[in-house]
Amino acid sequence: MKALRDVALPPHSIVEEPSGLVLLAVQRRGVPLFHCRLSVPAGAGEDPRAKAGLAQFTADLLRRGTKRRDAHGVDELIEGMGASLLIDVSMDEAALSLTVPADLSQRALDALLEVALEPAYAEEEVAAARRRALSALQSDLDEPSAVAARATIRLGYGPAHPYGHPVHGYRREVETFGREDCLAFHATRFRPRGALLAVVGDSPPSGLLDVARERLAQVRWASEARPTPLDFLELPREPGLRALVLHKPDSTQAQLRIVSPGIPRSSPRFFEAVVANTALGGGFTSLLVDAIRVDRGLSYSVSTRLAMNRQSGLSLFSSFTKNETLHELVDVALEKMGGYAESGPSEDALDKARTYLAGLFPLGLESHEALAEQISDSLLDGVGLEHLVSYRSRIGAVTASVVCRVAPCSTARAARAASMTRGPLA
Amino acid sequence: MPLLDPSNFPVQEHALSNGLQIRLLADPSLPIATLYSFFRVGSRNEQPGITGISHLFEHMMFNGSKKYGPKEFDRRLEAAGGTSNAYTSTDITAYYEDFAAEALPLVLDLESDRMASLVIDDDSLQREREVVKEERRFRTDNDIDGMLDEALSALAFLAHPYRWPVVGWMPDLNRISRRDCERYFRTYYAPNNCTLVLVGDFQPAAALREIERLYGKIPRGDPLPEVPNGEPPQKGERRAIVKYPAQAPALLAGFRGPDGRDPDSLVLDLIEAALGFGEGARLKRALVYEQELCVDAHISFGWRIDPGLFEVSLKLNPGVDPARAEAALWAELGRVADEGLDEQELQRAKNYVRAGLLRGLQTANGRAHTIGQMEVMLGSWRAFLDLPDRYQAVDRNAVIRVANKVFPPHRRNLATLLPGELPADAVAA
Repeated sequence: MKALRDVALPPHSIVEEPSGLVLLAVQRRGVPLFHCRLSVPAGAGEDPRAKAGLAQFTADLLRRGTKRRDAHGVDELIEGMGASLLIDVSMDEAALSLTVPADLSQRALDALLEVALEPAYAEEEVAAARRRALSALQSDLDEPSAVAARATIRLGYGPAHPYGHPVHGYRREVETFGREDCLAFHATRFRPRGALLAVVGDSPPSGLLDVARERLAQVRWASEARPTPLDFLELPREPGLRALVLHKPDSTQAQLRIVSPGIPRSSPRFFEAVVANTALGGGFTSLLVDAIRVDRGLSYSVSTRLAMNRQSGLSLFSSFTKNETLHELVDVALEKMGGYAESGPSEDALDKARTYLAGLFPLGLESHEALAEQISDSLLDGVGLEHLVSYRSRIGAVTASVVCRVAPCSTARAARAASMTRGPLA
Repeated sequence: MPLLDPSNFPVQEHALSNGLQIRLLADPSLPIATLYSFFRVGSRNEQPGITGISHLFEHMMFNGSKKYGPKEFDRRLEAAGGTSNAYTSTDITAYYEDFAAEALPLVLDLESDRMASLVIDDDSLQREREVVKEERRFRTDNDIDGMLDEALSALAFLAHPYRWPVVGWMPDLNRISRRDCERYFRTYYAPNNCTLVLVGDFQPAAALREIERLYGKIPRGDPLPEVPNGEPPQKGERRAIVKYPAQAPALLAGFRGPDGRDPDSLVLDLIEAALGFGEGARLKRALVYEQELCVDAHISFGWRIDPGLFEVSLKLNPGVDPARAEAALWAELGRVADEGLDEQELQRAKNYVRAGLLRGLQTANGRAHTIGQMEVMLGSWRAFLDLPDRYQAVDRNAVIRVANKVFPPHRRNLATLLPGELPADAVAA
């Protein structure tokens, strides 16, 4: 493999405020945009017992009114700038972000902080949000891939694990959500310690930091104590393959997921796991895409993915095919993954995966949003900026001898399958 | 200073004697580049019996050429630190590669080789046909949005090729032959029907020399067959019902609008933004939040070469009577036609469109796509530079005029999905 040079990050500053809040400022020249992103430790992994989906519900309600204005006023505040407030709830965090033309940077920061830190959670808005969430959960039943994704999460982590439920929760638990649930969750999770505010714009980092500090001086954070730390269980490792079949009689196509334990993002085996996954099912010329799509025409989409959270992760295979060829898809997928677990990738495949990953890596640093997310996550996940700065050389240093030890290779040995089909699975 | 300063877009324009158009924009800020090949062909260039051939052919372009055999295109590209993809619409087929800057010579060689000497064999056609049928089952036959979209197009267009789906009808996918593909390739994949756009970390003079060397020898093709547009005026509302075992009803409404070069398209872009972009958009606020009729309300209006559709999609809450949602939708559109948009709403829409333009220019891929799309749809990449000013000039009177032209009751087309058993003879293959 020809080594590709490492990528320098654009000018940036990182400081930790006395409150514990981390401030990140990044200068991105060329396009006159400003982006701000607030990450708080309020992910779905923090959902209280029997309240699966509360993190998402609480975050979605942020846009439905603050102590200073109602939902319509919040929409006018944000969308009047031509911006959309993005709310992304993962297992580990809730992230709110806005991108606006550069001349609106101060207005954008004020709006983001007001919405994130001063929610009203008005009784009637909570009730309406609950009705919307329940309707959306029912509508999701019409989306075969959504049904498969929800089943896969529970199957992969097990129901007792903090990550072992879908971020939108379950109908029977969403029905119980009330104003007090939202207030309590917000008060204990939207705190400066563990949070990160990222600002990306065309000014030097020091100027961006000044703007952020000036706006932060106007807000008050919640001060209630955080609940006891979560108990991250060992992922269930059961011998053999378990199959879960969800019957959807009207469907002419079956969705197939195969899931096994993966790794957290901070794992020392991160780089070899990423290379191994790419060779198995990550790129368009990977082993599984070749066998399933290119050689057999069995599916339009085939992929494997490492879903890496802060504490643990999953290794996932996804594909679909017409009902008549589901057996063939299962057989080919398991056979190829089994062979891969035994012998790993060829030298050529390994070399291709390394160059592919290294070559495309800078694409993930191009936009304001991508820069903020990549750097924020590297800091919050505890891998540091070194993870980004040396990404290409560390990918390039992965050798064949270490690849077989990592998660994707064990997929066939410890897999659980979630599938959906119209006919019975023999 | 204008919002989009032309000095930030030093695009070089070239054309080869075989008609290939070239647009180059160097940007060394990251060691990457994007190459787009835009072909002026899509499902509007098809005929009944071979619907879906444009999209199927897009898949065939990855199956080997004279110098790079089967599987080699993506294998070589990925091994050099690149990735590729493509899309087909009603009007264009676009191929792109995102790659480490060092891989540029290989990428140009791969792309020019398949334009010069694509190999089409029966085996790869058969495999790709099966892959596309799976894509159709995924996006249309088992997807509510997809099945409604298909029903709406067939309803709104009687004579124009926009009436069939880009992915094609299933029986046509089974029927398309190797000879059909070969004829299609000779007709539409000639250099005079292509615009090449390269953006990223490269030396323009060297890149141009390489493009001339590789593409210059490919012969110009015959003039393209004209696309007939015998679409008659719509004389009354049209309706279609789709029965499917869904959790809730859904509606997809469509109104035939102007083509992409018509200035009225800019007005419809702003109406789209005012009604559908963001949680506070007029339609979303009314139907999702205030009246609680829908899980989601979505508006889509894209520029097309010939007059296209302004579409409104409503995914209803379970148990809601479709007639109530329909009435609420017509009322909202009627308000736009009667009163237009107030100053604040119109400015909000302009800000949305302006920010969307800027966001689309953040990445090399986004800049290359914008440049190519402007060339194909509006005739020059420069068209996007003054778009913010043209949007800014739209006033309330223009909104009222265009809404009255596009949304009157006799121009409605409505596809409704009603939950129920699928008719026994309607199960797709």
